[in-house]
Amino acid sequence: MNRDHLSAWEQDEYILEQGTPDILRHLTECSECRASVERLQEGIACFRSAAMDWSAECLAERPTQKQFQFVPRRVSHALRWVFAALIPLLLLVLTLTLIPSHRSTPPQPVAQLSDDELINQVDEQVAIEVPSSMESLTHLVSAEGNSGTGTPAAGSKRLVQNN
Amino acid sequence: MEASEPLIYARELSPVRDRMFAELDDIDTLCATYRSRIYRYALLSLRDPDLAENVTQDCFLRAYRARGEFRGDCSVATWLTRIATNLIRDSTRSRKFQFWKSANTSAVEISAMAERIAAPGTSPETNLVAREQLGKVWDAVETLPGKQRSVFLLRFVEEMELPEIAAAMGLHVGTVKSHLHRALAAVRKAMEKKK
Repeated sequence: MNRDHLSAWEQDEYILEQGTPDILRHLTECSECRASVERLQEGIACFRSAAMDWSAECLAERPTQKQFQFVPRRVSHALRWVFAALIPLLLLVLTLTLIPSHRSTPPQPVAQLSDDELINQVDEQVAIEVPSSMESLTHLVSAEGNSGTGTPAAGSKRLVQNN
Repeated sequence: MEASEPLIYARELSPVRDRMFAELDDIDTLCATYRSRIYRYALLSLRDPDLAENVTQDCFLRAYRARGEFRGDCSVATWLTRIATNLIRDSTRSRKFQFWKSANTSAVEISAMAERIAAPGTSPETNLVAREQLGKVWDAVETLPGKQRSVFLLRFVEEMELPEIAAAMGLHVGTVKSHLHRALAAVRKAMEKKK
């Protein structure tokens, strides 16, 4: 701390009513510092006074204090949440009305077939669906199978000769 | 015995809080009590009577609508000041305000205010000095950054205590003090400038 005179910060501390006893003592003794502080205080006081007057005049020029009238919120505002709550309710009703319509259609009778019957059906289908160009081969194979003689290699040789 | 102390304290506080809550419920009384104060703060911050009026109206409307959020941990005046501070900050950030601020000059305001300084019975020299001082402080305050200006106005015009300003501005007391020191330094510099 400069003991000759108060620093600006110390003067501000006094103005802000935060002055230490040292600052207060110095101000009582030092006329120069006291004058500096008073000058600043006067400037601020002048500003305050003028500001108060100006504000009061501006306020007086304005129409008398408007009474705040709190209009009740519009119906749309009040019912906003009701509408929002209605949407899921509506969806629920719609789904409930639609689901029974699906259920009302009589279920198609499902043929209860055993595994053996299904396999037989598949065999028949496979047996039938031989391309027409290969039908002659099936006869040969079946004939050979019936005779019970000859190897598959011999059968194939005969097929080549026939062709 | 120690446990009963807060209860006693709460009981003592409750009538004060009740009074504050009742004050907030009556919008007309609330306006009658605090309008001039909030308007002045808005006017000096924005330096626009119309905008200050809008901010004041908006402040009371918001306070009334949000009165349920008031916890009573500060005075009604401080709470209103806090709302006003937020509204003023929003206004100064708007593009419209920036435009009009750049278009307007404060010369008229200063001269209009300086005329009010002339008190009957004082010498012309004293009036002249007072006008000069006012002009300098006025200019300095105008050029202060937003928070410094608000803190300066709340301390030296509204004469609020530092903790009250801290509560109203949502700042720490130390930060408020720091802003005040900077603001005072700017004012001092402006006053010494044209000597």
